[in-house]
Amino acid sequence: MVIVMEKHTAESNIERVMSELITRGFDVHRSTGSDQTILGVVGDVASIDPREFELFDGVQEAVRVSEPYKLSSRTWRREKTIVKARCVEIGGNEVVVMAGPCTIESETQLFETARRVARSGARVLRGGAYKPRTSPYAFQGMGVEGLKLLRAAGDEFNMAVVSEVMEISQIEKMLEYVDILQVGARNMQNFNLLTAVGQVRKPILLKRGMSATIQEWLLAAEYIMSGGNYDIILCERGIRTFETATRNTFDISAIPVIDKLSHLPIVGDPSHATGRRDKVMPLARAIVAAGGDGLLIEVHHDPEKALCDGPQSLYPDQFARLMDELRIIVPAVGRRI
Amino acid sequence: MNRIDAEAELKRLRDAIDRVDEVIVKLLNQRAKYAVEIGEIKGILGLPIYVPEREKEVLRHVEEENAGPLDEAAVRRLFERIIDESRRVERESARVKETA
Repeated sequence: MVIVMEKHTAESNIERVMSELITRGFDVHRSTGSDQTILGVVGDVASIDPREFELFDGVQEAVRVSEPYKLSSRTWRREKTIVKARCVEIGGNEVVVMAGPCTIESETQLFETARRVARSGARVLRGGAYKPRTSPYAFQGMGVEGLKLLRAAGDEFNMAVVSEVMEISQIEKMLEYVDILQVGARNMQNFNLLTAVGQVRKPILLKRGMSATIQEWLLAAEYIMSGGNYDIILCERGIRTFETATRNTFDISAIPVIDKLSHLPIVGDPSHATGRRDKVMPLARAIVAAGGDGLLIEVHHDPEKALCDGPQSLYPDQFARLMDELRIIVPAVGRRI
Repeated sequence: MNRIDAEAELKRLRDAIDRVDEVIVKLLNQRAKYAVEIGEIKGILGLPIYVPEREKEVLRHVEEENAGPLDEAAVRRLFERIIDESRRVERESARVKETA
């Protein structure tokens, strides 16, 4: 951390800040300039909040130089983490496509969709059993019955399965059926839930909150990791901006930014980002081209009849076409699919 | 001075700097040893590691001793770094004394 003192501040103000830092066990590197003094703070500064020091008289600014997150940072671990879920490795050379319906609606719907996406090359089957819906009157999901169907479909078509956990009480039951637990955008800062999934020993797919900064997102990952669960897949799904043409604005730059800051794999969800079927394919191509480790795509065998997010679900034929396109793009960025 | 002489002179001056550096490192370590002892004493007496008044005195003293060509601000910057390190050394030795 660096503390910049105000210009020509009294020596006593500088001494008070130094005294506080030294009492707390930090080393201070003082640098007196011609009219401004800078204090470099050395030690375990992750434990202190820089804003606290901005309240001291004479302090102009206190800035953190190192990241507040540790376990999720590249500094802590240089080589990329490869998350293993059943038969799939995410974060390695292979770009992993996860696909399936937004919500599990029926056996026919799930199996038909699963069959089609598996044939096209999807390695993970997605499907919601508990749905966080904006309206309390919208379809809320099939619950445990849906999880059983998901497991059965995954086994049938040799795919790992991922489903969203909404609250702590669902975790235990979900672990019986799913390979990856998804923490949704709306729960990204539900710290009790994050702490609880930190105790789990299965991979977590952590979506970025719709108004979360990258730092807040990595701190959410830190919550899970500090509980001992290091298998985290980050998922960019778009953030809120002033643009209304798409539901959210997909932050494509988050992919290279995360790759620089963190060793955790990152995948992109083009379906939720845009909310529009016709925008999903171009965005999916961009995600893998930008270095994404995978995709999370909504596919429905009959989107017109979907109970949830129909307009953003691809038709199975479109998904097959997308996979063909990805087979051209992915080798161009030095990976395989 | 021709080119060959100039090159020889450059080498001589660089060697001279190396010799001075050797003395500086020895003296810095001698200074650090005193800091270690002071740290131990502070540990015993329960005195604070950071004493702004004393640090000011040290800076004032070296500025008075300074005969140039370094200006006062330069001497001050250099000694601020030396004091930073002394504080760290003192703290470590005070801590060792506490736990011993």
